[in-house]
Amino acid sequence: MLQEIRERAQGWIAWAIVILITIPFALWGIQSYLGVGTEPIVATVNGTEIKTRDLDMRVEETRMRMRERLGAAYRPELFEGAALRDQVLEGMIQEQLLLQASLDMGLRASSLELQGAILANPAFQRDGRFDKETYDRMMQLQGMSAMQYEESLRQRIVGTQIQRALVASELVTEQELTGAVHLDRQQRRLSYLRLPKAEFRNDSPLPEEEIQAWYESHADRYRTPERVKLTYMVLDAAQLSAGQPVDEEALRDRYAEQLETFRTPEQRRARHILVTLDQGADQAAEAEAKARIEAIRARLTAGEAFATVAQEVSQDPGSASQGGDLGLLGQGVMDPAFEGATFALELGQLSEPVRTPFGYHLIEVTQIQPETLKPFEEVRDQLATEVSQGSTESAFYDMAERLANLVYEHPDSLEPAATALGLPLQTSDWVGREGGADLLASPKVVAAAFSDEVLREGTNSDLIEPEPEVLRAIVLRVTEHEEAAPKPLAEVREEIITTLRERKAAEAAQVAAKAMVERLQAGETLASLAASQPVTEAGLVARDSAAVPADVLDLAFTLPPVAAGAPRYGFRPAADGDALVVAVTEVVDGDLGGLDEAALQGTRRELAQVLGSSYFDTLLKDMAFRAKIEREPMGEEQSR
Amino acid sequence: MNVYETDEEKVEAIKGWWKENGLSVAGGLAIGLAAVFGWRAWVDHQEGQAQQASAAFEQLVATVETGNADAARTQARLLLEKHGDSAYGALTQLMLAKVEIAAQQPQAARQALEQAMAKAPEPGLAKVAALRLARLLMAQGEREAALALIAREDQGGPFAADFAALRGDLALASGRVAEARADYERAIAQGAANTALLRLKLENLPPAG
Repeated sequence: MLQEIRERAQGWIAWAIVILITIPFALWGIQSYLGVGTEPIVATVNGTEIKTRDLDMRVEETRMRMRERLGAAYRPELFEGAALRDQVLEGMIQEQLLLQASLDMGLRASSLELQGAILANPAFQRDGRFDKETYDRMMQLQGMSAMQYEESLRQRIVGTQIQRALVASELVTEQELTGAVHLDRQQRRLSYLRLPKAEFRNDSPLPEEEIQAWYESHADRYRTPERVKLTYMVLDAAQLSAGQPVDEEALRDRYAEQLETFRTPEQRRARHILVTLDQGADQAAEAEAKARIEAIRARLTAGEAFATVAQEVSQDPGSASQGGDLGLLGQGVMDPAFEGATFALELGQLSEPVRTPFGYHLIEVTQIQPETLKPFEEVRDQLATEVSQGSTESAFYDMAERLANLVYEHPDSLEPAATALGLPLQTSDWVGREGGADLLASPKVVAAAFSDEVLREGTNSDLIEPEPEVLRAIVLRVTEHEEAAPKPLAEVREEIITTLRERKAAEAAQVAAKAMVERLQAGETLASLAASQPVTEAGLVARDSAAVPADVLDLAFTLPPVAAGAPRYGFRPAADGDALVVAVTEVVDGDLGGLDEAALQGTRRELAQVLGSSYFDTLLKDMAFRAKIEREPMGEEQSR
Repeated sequence: MNVYETDEEKVEAIKGWWKENGLSVAGGLAIGLAAVFGWRAWVDHQEGQAQQASAAFEQLVATVETGNADAARTQARLLLEKHGDSAYGALTQLMLAKVEIAAQQPQAARQALEQAMAKAPEPGLAKVAALRLARLLMAQGEREAALALIAREDQGGPFAADFAALRGDLALASGRVAEARADYERAIAQGAANTALLRLKLENLPPAG
């Protein structure tokens, strides 16, 4: 049977099968088989998946942006929860919907728009202009190719095109403009008076059961907050460093260690004359160059000035014009042969011809700057500062470690640690969850004080370093704890009585105002009714008038318009509990005639803007309404 | 299946098969390749057309922004001639309607909006065009036509709020205050466009009864 299989396997059919199998592998590669469906997804929008990884990335980006924008005001608890995740996911779903719809419709971003968007992005600019290098570097930083980036940018542009189209094409009819101006710039003639609640205050004793009932129904108002008293110890680097003697011996050791950094090695100022000669030059050229350099040397030894000759014949373009001067040279800079010669010469001595890869040189040393070493006395203070800084820091970490160990080994008391380290124990007054003074105000410290271990189990806290950049640490334990508790009625009785009287007075003012409005509607006038209170005649005012209190305006403009000359009356409580009574005697619609062309154009634009972008939002909702969106049930473990 | 005895026989068999089927295989390959490349070329062409239309449309938007009606009309006409059947056709009609309204040519604006509705590549866009057309009809005093249009186009969903707001305007224009109040209230509750203005309209209604 094996024989048969072997024979058949050699037939052309077998080969054809093998070739057929190779094709998909050749085209798609093995990873697309291995990677199928392994990535977790959070939602599907019309069949397109939103990957958990992408959502996580976006959430992290959002957090980072918020952290940057809010700085110290950033509150992690506001941005760590599932709420932000949901919000970001909804945004991504909308984005996906819009992109799908736009692409399905056949909207595209042209290369011109793409180019414009890239050129205008300040992130890719240097000195206010687009810079290709910066662009490439940004791409590298983001770990994507320029093609990928341009594709994603295209998608973003396409996504905004429909929005721009809707807002830009929004129209406003003359009728709508007129209507809007009539309402928006409407003016009303009004007068008002205020009935102060103080006038309706009744100081007669309140029935006990009323006080009791209020106390019971508003129990959560009358509670003492949960609070603790703390014993704590602060380790502060600033106090460690003060008054520490500096050990002279240690400074000398440090000086010896760092000797090299205080040494400036010998430098020599040299000048030279060069006759160039290639490294691989043949013997004839070599001989000729040698002859020339010897000739020059002869001129110099005969007494001609080095500088003049150098200017005349040296073939080193850099130095010839300087009379061959090369400036101060250290060691390890020049060609070894050149350097060897230079540092072997005496001051003012002319060298023999020196062969380097450049050719033949004649060298003369014009100045020798001997090696210098900064003496200990000169750098002592600098060293002392370094040492004390370093020792403070290491002392702090040293002590912090010992402190952490001690409070861990003796979880029931801070005393052993205090004695061992010589740190004073401090005690606090009552501290609530809002924090105390100085270090106790830090949220980290408060969180530790109210943590289960410290509060319930009565152990020492861990060592806490509240400020990231400051070498200051605190460890604490709770010595007294008071649960949030209802305040006894006796303690809050007076407070309740005041509250109730205020409320009753405000209610009575409202009743009086209502009665007043009824009499006004029956035909009496505000002036005749206002016995003790002055009536304010505000005249004709607009909605946004600053001359009239906002709550008066609010009431006056929500009353129905005046019909047939009959005034409208209304009342409402003011923010402070007084009662307001308002009379509107005239309503004048906003007038287009009072607006110049620019103002009209501005109003038109504003109306179109509001309508257009609102239609766009509705369009998005409509797309979501029609789409097939599946949200994976988000595991709590994902959002922690 | 036949098993070949010698190499010669195999070679013979392959040659025979090729003689018989060679032409169809080659033809099939050629057709396949032509289809693939043809498809690619067609897609590229479509993509290019769409990009051209997009650029032209962006230019039109910029022109409309300047308020030059004649230039906008010319650009719109060219765009419609070349890309009238694409999505940009419908968007161009929307832009054109705005131009005509600003130029006090309500009839032309109306035609543009009707075209935009008919050619809308997306049901939501058709609704936006319908809303604008209804508002235009109302401004023209054709309340019956506007109501009929609204009745036809309002099919529930998120746009219902905006249709309700227009119904309120129409009812108020015909003096049916109670109806207007109900419509405005519904529109505000469902989040119609420009709720701030709708609230002013509602508060400015004469009292009931």
